This record gives sequence, C-alpha cells and structure tokens, in this order.
Amino acid sequence: MSAILFALLLGLPVTGTLLCAVFHTRRVLETITVICAGLTFLSALWLVTTVTQSGALNPGQGWLYADGLSAYVAAIVTGSALVVALYSTGYLRRQVRRRHVDGGQLWLYYLLLNAFLFTMMVVLLSNNLGVLWIGSEATTLATAFLVAFYERESSIEAAWKYVIICSVGIALALFGIILTYFSALHVVPASGNALNWSSLMLVAGGLDPGVLKLAFIFVLVGFGTKAGLAPMHTWKPDAYGEAPAPISALMAAGLVNVALYSLIRFYILVNKAVGGSFAPTLFIIFGLVSMGVAVPFILIQRDFKRLLAYSSVEHVGIIVFALGLGTPLAYFGALLHLLNNAIAKTLLFLTASNVRMAYNSKIMRKVTGAIKVIPVSATFLIAGVFAITGWPPFGVFVSEFAIVSAGFAGGNVVPTVFFIGFIAAIFAGFIYYTSRMVFGEPHPGIKGGDADTLSLLLLGLLLTALLVLGVFVPPPLQQCIETALTVLKG
Amino acid sequence: MDPTNLQTVGLLIDILAAAILVTAFLVVSSRSLVFYIRLFALQSFFLGAVALLVVLGYGETHILIAAVLTIAIKAIAIPVVLSRVIERIHVRKEVDFSINIPASLLLCGGMVILADSVAHSILGAQRADAPAVSRVLSVSIAMMLIGLFIMTTRKKAITQIVGLLTMENGVFLSGLSITYGMPLIVEVGIFFDILVAVLILGVFIFRINKTFESISIDSLRGLRE
Repeated sequence: MSAILFALLLGLPVTGTLLCAVFHTRRVLETITVICAGLTFLSALWLVTTVTQSGALNPGQGWLYADGLSAYVAAIVTGSALVVALYSTGYLRRQVRRRHVDGGQLWLYYLLLNAFLFTMMVVLLSNNLGVLWIGSEATTLATAFLVAFYERESSIEAAWKYVIICSVGIALALFGIILTYFSALHVVPASGNALNWSSLMLVAGGLDPGVLKLAFIFVLVGFGTKAGLAPMHTWKPDAYGEAPAPISALMAAGLVNVALYSLIRFYILVNKAVGGSFAPTLFIIFGLVSMGVAVPFILIQRDFKRLLAYSSVEHVGIIVFALGLGTPLAYFGALLHLLNNAIAKTLLFLTASNVRMAYNSKIMRKVTGAIKVIPVSATFLIAGVFAITGWPPFGVFVSEFAIVSAGFAGGNVVPTVFFIGFIAAIFAGFIYYTSRMVFGEPHPGIKGGDADTLSLLLLGLLLTALLVLGVFVPPPLQQCIETALTVLKG
Repeated sequence: MDPTNLQTVGLLIDILAAAILVTAFLVVSSRSLVFYIRLFALQSFFLGAVALLVVLGYGETHILIAAVLTIAIKAIAIPVVLSRVIERIHVRKEVDFSINIPASLLLCGGMVILADSVAHSILGAQRADAPAVSRVLSVSIAMMLIGLFIMTTRKKAITQIVGLLTMENGVFLSGLSITYGMPLIVEVGIFFDILVAVLILGVFIFRINKTFESISIDSLRGLRE
C-alpha cells in the first residue's frame, strides 16, 4: 500500500516530465501536465487519509517516509500545482497569441513545471536528510529557466541572483546536515541510517547538543534562504517579479511551504534533542525580522508582483514566528496559515497576471480603474488583498487570530504586539496601492479584456475556499492538521 | 593497515589539506580568470586525493566513487566547461575587485583563524584522539568562508561561480573530515546537482553576455526598489 502511494506521488510527476520531453504539440503538453498534476493531487489526498488513519508510512529504514506533516504539505503543494497547471493553459495560449512565447518556450515551460513538482515531492517524501537536500537544490535548478523565461535583461538578472543566492544558502544547509550527521554517528547503530529522519528521532536525546545547535544555525540560514526569510530574502522580489505569474504563484504557494517543511523537520529534531528555548527564540527573532523588513518595501512599492513577493516574505515570517511560540494553538495557527497563505498567494499572483494582461504593465501607477476594465478580476483582486492582509471573513484572519491569541496566552506580549503592528502597517500599504488600482478612472487607450472563463472560475474557487476557511475549519482538514500537529510536538 | 602506514596517510592528508588552502589563497590573490579556473581544478584534484587517502587509510570504500567523481567532475568537467565559456564570450579576462589583493589576503588569514576556533568547538573533547582527517575540519570551514568572500568581493560572473564551487569544496571536505563522507547515494546526488548548477549558470553567462555585453555582475543592477 505505502509502496503504491510513494510510486504514484513520485512516479506521476516523473512520467509527466518524460512525456513532455517527447511531445511538442501544445494541446498534448497541456493535457499531460494537467492530468499528471491532477492525479498527483489525488494521490496526495489519498496519502493524507492513509496517514491520518494508520500513522506514518514506512517508519523503518527505507529511503522514503511520510507522516502527517509531509502529507499535509504535499496536499497543499500538489493542490496549488494543479491550479497553476490549469491556469497555465489559458495563460500560455494568450502569450502565444500575443507572440510573447514561441513553441520551444512553451515546451520548456511544461517540461520544467512537471520537473519542479517532482523535485518538491522528493523533498517532502524523503526519509534521508541528504536526499532532502538534493531535492531542495533541484527545486532551484528546475525553476532557474522558468524565472529567466522571458529572456529580458531583468529576468536573466533575477535568475542569476536566484540561483547564486539559493545555492550559497543551500551549501550552508549542507554543512548543517553534515554536522547533524556527525552528531548522530556515534549514537545511531548502523551508520548508513544516521541521516534518516526516522532513526534520528529515535535517538534524539543522545545527539551532541553543542554540535546540533551549530548545525541548526546553518540549516536555518540555508533553508531560510530557500523560504525567503529576511535577511536572506533578497532574491525573492526579483525572482517572483520576473517569473511568469503562474510560476511565481507556485513558488509562493508550493516552494515556500517545501522550504518551511525542511526547516520544520530540523526544528522538531533540535527541540527534541536540545530542548529549552534555543530554536524557538531564533524562530521568533527571524520571524519578526522578516515581517519588519517587508514593511518599508511594501509601503514604497511600485510593482505589483514585487509587492506580493514582499508579502510572501512577511507571511513566511508569520509562520516561523508562530512556530517559535511553540504552544499547540500556535502550531495549529502556523499549520493552518501554510494553507491559507498558499491559497491567497495563488489567487493574488494569478489575478495579478490577469491585470497585467489587460494593462500590459505590472507597475501599479499605470493601472487604474480596473473595476471598469476587468470587473471580475478587479473584484478578485480587492477581495484577495483583504484576505491576505488578514481581514474576516477570510481564512488568513482565522490563522493569524490563532497565532496572536497563542502569543498573548504564552506570555510573549511584546513580540506579539510587534507582530500586530507589522500586520497593520502592511495592510495600510496594500490597501493604499490596490484601491488606486481598482477604483478611479482607467487611462485612455486601455483595451482591457479579461482572462478566459476557466481561469476566472479557478480564481472564484480559490476565493470560495478562503471564505469557507474564514467561517470554519472543515472536519477532515481539522483531522489532517491535528495529525500534522502530533508530528510537530515531536 | 598498520599504525606506521596510517601515520603516513595522516601526514599526506595534512599536506594535501594545506595545499588546498594554498590554492584558495592563490585564487584570492589572482587577477586572471584563467587562473581562477586552473586553480580551482587543482584544488579539486587535491580534494579528490584526500578522498582517495580516506579510502586507503580508513577502509571507507564507499568514498571511492565520491573520490572518482570529484576528480572527474570538479577537477576536469567543470573547469573544461568554464574555460569554454570564457573562450566563447571574448571578455577581458581580468578580475575586478571591490577589495584589493593585500587587504583580501589579510582578511582571509583572519578567516582561517576564525575557522580553526570554530572547528575546535565542534570537535570538542574528541579532538585530542581524533584521526588525522578530522584535523582537516578547520581547513574546510576556512574554505567555505573564503568561497563566500570571493563571491562577495570579486565582480565577474565566473568568479561568483568559482567562489560558490570553493564553498562546495569546503563543505565536501568537512563531510570527509568528520563523517568520512555521506552515504553514497547522497554524494552522487550532490555531484549531480552541482554539475547541473554549473551548466545552468554557464548558460546564464552566455545570456548575460549577450544582453549586457559584459559578464561583470556590476551590470546586474537593474532590479532595485
């Protein structure tokens, strides 16, 4: 049973990649990508139910491993991949029609989209921390040409910075992993298994705490770079701003969660081995710094996609901060926020792409009166902005409220007050810019034209999901989060 | 292996580690892109030799493949790719600095001292009776710092790649020194990732050269707030 699940989750994206490598017709590439992403998503849901019912899969010494946490994140990642695959079909058709994209680029896009999904699944399902590292570096490599997709000067610059900064980060993480391995060599009986998550957790108490603390700092910097924690976030606005919008969406909703997942794995391990407030304090500091750093850049922003990138830095900060608080309520808020942020970011990046198509610009000053030009997308835009800035009745409000309550209940009053202050300032910046984009008079000469019906339906679906999550957490999701929560508690 | 031979292996590893550190310093003091690449090839060759000695001296046969891959990929394939890149793009093959050579050398010397104290704290009490290769840990941490230093203070795109690879060499050496290398499949995966990364960065250099008519990262300043 578990073998079938692993085979599906890893095999489907590989099959997608290989099939895309062979075919070159647009319609075939679209079909392959959508079907593979869809089936992978269904397999992830199957994984979630299996893990919720019967516990972690393959807890022995195999290469593959899945528990509540990996299943939950895998469901979020594959879900956003499916939405992005569906949206990409309409997006790329429009780009081909406008001659922004040729046949070769189309092929490369679908090929790398499948490969990207595969690399993320490798990270989420590997038992061995070294393989997890290989998967993480491979996510950077799979997305490098997607960031450089439009071959503008600015996109090559963004891709260069992206690959260089993330590779440096991940090299430091590798040193952290080697130190973890070193701390375990003397206590794990068979040394070949000393990098396996399942064996490390069994002997966590015997690991050398001094070495492990140092290892955690390197891992935090390394995977923090991948997740876009400040001050290692500098590649993020460039890469998100230059990549095609659906790719930015999948990076913000998928890749960020995969990087956070890796970070959480080490966090659990270090908390179990070292205890005390070492790792939680680091998380609270890095979380608040990321939120604080995002504030000025959101307030002075001109480019809508870069605005969303800084919002992503902020929300990674929120999640890491919540994990640092360390109470069950805070963990619950952090896990729920992984999902809420993923949905809201996908909604906003895809809406941004509709706006950009209509106005031929992503500079916010040039976009005015969207409600008259593209009424449907403009509605999604303003609703999405209220959602991401944490207003009821949207899901983000629920998870942020849980985090704030946990902060006050746990006695972390001062950090929580900062947390609220940053969120308020970011809300002000977002509303100032987007209200000007949505309302007012459009510049003369804007032809407009909204995206196709399928794309708009997808966005409507995402918005509905955020509304549902704002009212209540459905019981299956509740159960799934609780299973992930038991993993977090160690 | 009997103790005298083991001592010889230990001595050889020490000498090679010193040679690796010297190549890193020579890179820092070099002005020519061609030297950067040759010195990196030499450094990787020494690294591969250290790995071979670990196989010989400590019987860790699974490192053999890693040693061969180091020499094949890092000492031969990657330098060849990088040399092709700089031949094809016809640039001024000189490095631009933001910190001059004497100051750079002084800073890197400081980094070696820092690295040694970090290595002391990692090995802790185990250091006294540790085998020769674990003494190499200080060198490996120094390499990571120097690699990072090269990336931040040298301005050609190629020098950033060489800096990154120097860092990676440092990480690999640290793995050799304190854990006798990672499990085989992990090592192979890491090599694959590094090779692909260099190929992708090489393609980007061509494109940077085409669109910016230079491969200095100073021209990568378009994206700002």
